[in-house]
Amino acid sequence: MKFDLDGLPILFPYDYIYPEQYAYMRDMKRALDQQGHCLLEMPSGTGKTVSLLSLIVAYQQYYPEKRKLIYCSRTVPEIEKALAELQRLMEYRKSQGMKEKFLGLGLTSRRNLCVHPEVSKAKWGQEVDAQCRNKTAPWVREMHKSDKEGEAANAPALCNFFEALENAEEEASMPPGVYTLEDIKEWGRENGYCPYFLSRRMIAFANVVIYSYHYLLDPKVAELVSKELSKDCIVVFDEAHNIDNVCTESLSIDITRPMLDASARSVTALSTRIDELKATNSEKLLSEYSRLVEGLRATQESRANEEFMNNPILSDDMLQEAVPGNIRRAEHFVAFLRRFIEYLKTRLRVMHVVAESSTSFLQHVKEITFIDKKPLRFCSERLGSLIRTLELTDLAEYRALQTIAAFATVVATYQKGFILILEPYENDMDTIPNPVLHLSCLDATIAIKPVFDRFKTVIITSGTLSPMELYPTLLGFTPVVVQSYQMTLTRSCFLPLTITRGSDQVAISSKFEVRNDLAVVRNYGNILIEYAKIVPDGLVCFFPSYLYMESIVTAWNDLGMLQEVLKYKLIFIETPDAAETSMALENYRMACDNGRGAVLLSVARGKVSEGVDFDHNYGRAVILFGIPYQYTESRILKARLEYLRDNSKIRENDFLTFDAMRHGAQCVGRVLRGKTDYGLMVFADKRFARADKRSKLPKWINAGMTEACVNLSTDMALAMSKKFLRSMAQPFEHNQLGVSLWDEEELRRRQEKEARKGEVSGHVDFGTTAMEGVEVAG
Amino acid sequence: MATASKPAAKVATNGATKKAAPPIDDEDSHGLMGASGQGYSWEEEYKRSWDVLQEDEQGSLVGAVNSIQMQMKRRRLNKDTKVVQRGIIRHLYLVIDLSRAMAELDLKPSRVECTLALAEQFVAEYFDQNPLSQLGVIITRDALAEKLTELSGNPTDHVDVIRKKANREPRGEPSLQNALDLARTSLAHVPAHASREILVLYASLTTCDPDNIIDTIDALRRNEIRVSVVGLSAEVQVCKTICKETKGTYRVVMNEGHFKELLFENIPPPPIAMAQNMSNLIKMGFPITRNFDPPTLCACHHKPIRKGYACPGCSSTICDIPTDCPVCALTLVSSPLLARSYHHLFPVDNYKEVIPGPPLPDVLATTATPLAGHCFACLQAFAPKAGASNAALVGLRSARYECGRCMNSFCWDCDVYVHEVLHSCPGCVNR
Ligand code: SF4
Ligand SMILES: [Zn+2]
Ligand SMILES: [Zn+2]
Ligand SMILES: [Zn+2]
Ligand SMILES: [Zn+2]
Repeated sequence: MKFDLDGLPILFPYDYIYPEQYAYMRDMKRALDQQGHCLLEMPSGTGKTVSLLSLIVAYQQYYPEKRKLIYCSRTVPEIEKALAELQRLMEYRKSQGMKEKFLGLGLTSRRNLCVHPEVSKAKWGQEVDAQCRNKTAPWVREMHKSDKEGEAANAPALCNFFEALENAEEEASMPPGVYTLEDIKEWGRENGYCPYFLSRRMIAFANVVIYSYHYLLDPKVAELVSKELSKDCIVVFDEAHNIDNVCTESLSIDITRPMLDASARSVTALSTRIDELKATNSEKLLSEYSRLVEGLRATQESRANEEFMNNPILSDDMLQEAVPGNIRRAEHFVAFLRRFIEYLKTRLRVMHVVAESSTSFLQHVKEITFIDKKPLRFCSERLGSLIRTLELTDLAEYRALQTIAAFATVVATYQKGFILILEPYENDMDTIPNPVLHLSCLDATIAIKPVFDRFKTVIITSGTLSPMELYPTLLGFTPVVVQSYQMTLTRSCFLPLTITRGSDQVAISSKFEVRNDLAVVRNYGNILIEYAKIVPDGLVCFFPSYLYMESIVTAWNDLGMLQEVLKYKLIFIETPDAAETSMALENYRMACDNGRGAVLLSVARGKVSEGVDFDHNYGRAVILFGIPYQYTESRILKARLEYLRDNSKIRENDFLTFDAMRHGAQCVGRVLRGKTDYGLMVFADKRFARADKRSKLPKWINAGMTEACVNLSTDMALAMSKKFLRSMAQPFEHNQLGVSLWDEEELRRRQEKEARKGEVSGHVDFGTTAMEGVEVAG
Repeated sequence: MATASKPAAKVATNGATKKAAPPIDDEDSHGLMGASGQGYSWEEEYKRSWDVLQEDEQGSLVGAVNSIQMQMKRRRLNKDTKVVQRGIIRHLYLVIDLSRAMAELDLKPSRVECTLALAEQFVAEYFDQNPLSQLGVIITRDALAEKLTELSGNPTDHVDVIRKKANREPRGEPSLQNALDLARTSLAHVPAHASREILVLYASLTTCDPDNIIDTIDALRRNEIRVSVVGLSAEVQVCKTICKETKGTYRVVMNEGHFKELLFENIPPPPIAMAQNMSNLIKMGFPITRNFDPPTLCACHHKPIRKGYACPGCSSTICDIPTDCPVCALTLVSSPLLARSYHHLFPVDNYKEVIPGPPLPDVLATTATPLAGHCFACLQAFAPKAGASNAALVGLRSARYECGRCMNSFCWDCDVYVHEVLHSCPGCVNR
């Protein structure tokens, strides 16, 4: 359909539009007009992506600035979904007579894009990266070009796809269109270009780029991939409810003893290489030295496409400076590294928990090893330069050393917002030491600040962003539009229920003090059994942690409760092992399809809760056993809480509840992936009944939670659930679709009405207004 | 490492103070019980009536009651009256789930009792409306399927097994696949001119299958067997898939009344696909009634009978029709039975509602009947003029429905009676 949104003609690739989609687009347009950031919570299953794309594409095609869209999503399947939507949209625009030269593409890791017959076979992403880098490193290519007898034979074979792309002139670009990941691979294969590097190169020319968060947030990668994006790009973070954690994680580094050992080996290897080189070709080292004197700027420019060394941070002032004298010479730098590694090793030998700030860490480093802050800051960059000079070909071996260098750089660059924690044991109960030195970023703003600073419009959106007040503080930005939408429904296709007590009236809770009470365990078990009985096909349960899940499942097993569940459904359990879990998921799906029915027991912060959809029969109900609070004993979390309290004025309790509720909402949101879908959302913990918890749920979930379903005992909840499931099984009366769907005609009528109402009220709540007498046929 | 130990000490104390109470404030105020007026499951019944009955703006229930009836009426009106080819010779297996899920009490008096009572009614009604058809009963429990009766045209056989006590005890898990396979193999020999159908009354939400049920679905489709399922509790994906693949219907009951309605929707024969419509002529025998004195054994059950039929093909004695002759396999029917099956093929057209009000006189003028102000069938007078004020009453009592062919008007009750019982329009017949 075609309509006009405050003067902007929009082509929407479907015949009908949901009222909330319209509202969403309108608010987004407001943010774009004002060139400000915005925060939008849009219920899952309401066609968020397509509305977003339709609006932004219309916007960029209509206005002369042609602002580029950078759409960040979290997982590869999500990227593919978005690309497919974009493809559909562009086809529709074309069918409506829009003649546009449009390029849309996605970018993901080499593992997904590589077409090299051997490299692409490697199992792990890092392996693919390493092999590819070996083939594409400039000095390796140099060796082949100069065609020196011995060298070329020893060096890794080149990748023809990469060579072809390098030899093609800059504009040997792809015809316009939207390329899914599969399309671009296909095109690359046909034309003999490497799809990965091709996409990276085409980012500069594309109208829409869809890639993962890391290409923008992780400074290591962002520098290489996203450097050339202009200021007026529109940046979208989709599924962004967890964005603050992505930010902090991208700057956090863990160091273990095996890593240190490996680095020490690498350092030795480096020094051998240096000695060799000194003997054969000392000019190279000399020229490197002089380059380093000139400063990093020059080096930076000389390397166009390389990516062999990831530099965590490169602030502008650093680029102006020359590399400090004491690490300029290769052998000095190697000695420097060795000293630093030795120092870290001694630190890891400490047998008690240590927590300290980066400042105190640096001071200690200085006292013991006389290493200054400044050279540490340049560590990463210096190592990169050295690797280049030495023309190393087995880069995978140096990964640990690179991490250490990155660690040095980060710790020396930021004084605020980081903490170093040394934990000698993995668990407090362990007796065999397995020390880890965590360098934890506590402040999400550090990683995302450059993004907000650089781009005029950043849109943060997700199905669950409540409570929304916290995000601006956590991420340090000021949105111009903050909005949460409700879902307009002709039938209430989800039913949130809060069970506060068992049938025996004993309150249930996953609270630490009571969670192992027999009464609570039994009541939780009964909820599982009863729901296994009445819910058809798939039932998904979430526990706050693996630990708790393990203990309660064991208890249920001892009580004979699992056997009871097995009468009705098969049981699958999520484990931290990704392969195992994906196998469990596959079997779970099968059981949901063939009528056997299945229960999936999983963990609120696990992989399942984030990336897996349980639409239709794969999830007719979700049960949250307890509030998914983070593990509050974690030292990193404690440090972060403290930091937030001191610096952002966020109370610990507020943050913990916020975090728990957003994960809870994420979990229950998994059942509902569209308006034809339906599902039960069961919150089994008495604490969910409290207003402070409930108010933190997304508005659209809250809207479904009437007073009648907040404080239930198990049997009451069951009666309501049964009734809900029965009524949802009734055929869907199509002539009611008019309530939650607008066609072109109706939309125009609405707009006129709104215009008549005048510009006085400013905002009409489209989500809730009922509408009269529109029937949609069929 | 003197300095390193210092911060450690700080953390240790830190940890000690924090450990006991992670900063989550979660104490709850009491008063959880009975806070809301939420009912218990046994109050469900009471609540349900209120879901349906809602007072209208004037606070009267009449309108509400009325609208329920109207809804029913409308539903019936939507029924297709097109003349389509229907297979009036049907072969249907009634599969009854007798698993543990049947013991639930959410249907009154219990799921089993309700289901079996309705199954009896269904069998009777089925043979009443489909006199040329046959039926068999299969139950499934303990992960097995058991055939209680073979396909036959005798309702009492089926009702008897349904009534047998041993067949009324739910236990174990059902096996949908076993039941379907059993029905499928039993239907395999059915001649091509007859429809093959399976109707499953399914209470369980799970099925305990020996093999992949998807294969069974394929086999069912190949054998052109239509599977319909009436679910007793909630929508199960596999049932949905089966029904969709085999072109059957899948519905889930809301309550006892709805259950009956859904079950009885399976009584009119389903339309047949054109491709299936191969054989046009079927050989049938019309047996002669005979009295025996002293009683003779019938060829079909070896029971002594006094009154029976003689097969026109082989003269063997049969106790009841319709059936296939056990000796020469001739299809045995009687002409009244054939005639009764007819109405499915030529249903009475739906009557059109006559909108009361100003245009009424015109309608009267065009109708030639002298009793235009009355129902043609029962002679009850229509309300003289529809006032807008008591529209509800008009809607309930005096709505007029007109036959499109004979142009006679009927009241609402007669309309329903004509379409659901009589199957022929009195006005048209009289002409
Ligand atoms: S250049 Fe491209 S095709 Fe070649 S190995 Fe690397 S990723 Fe694969
Ligand atoms: Zn007999
Ligand atoms: Zn015979
Ligand atoms: Zn009448
Ligand atoms: Zn008539």
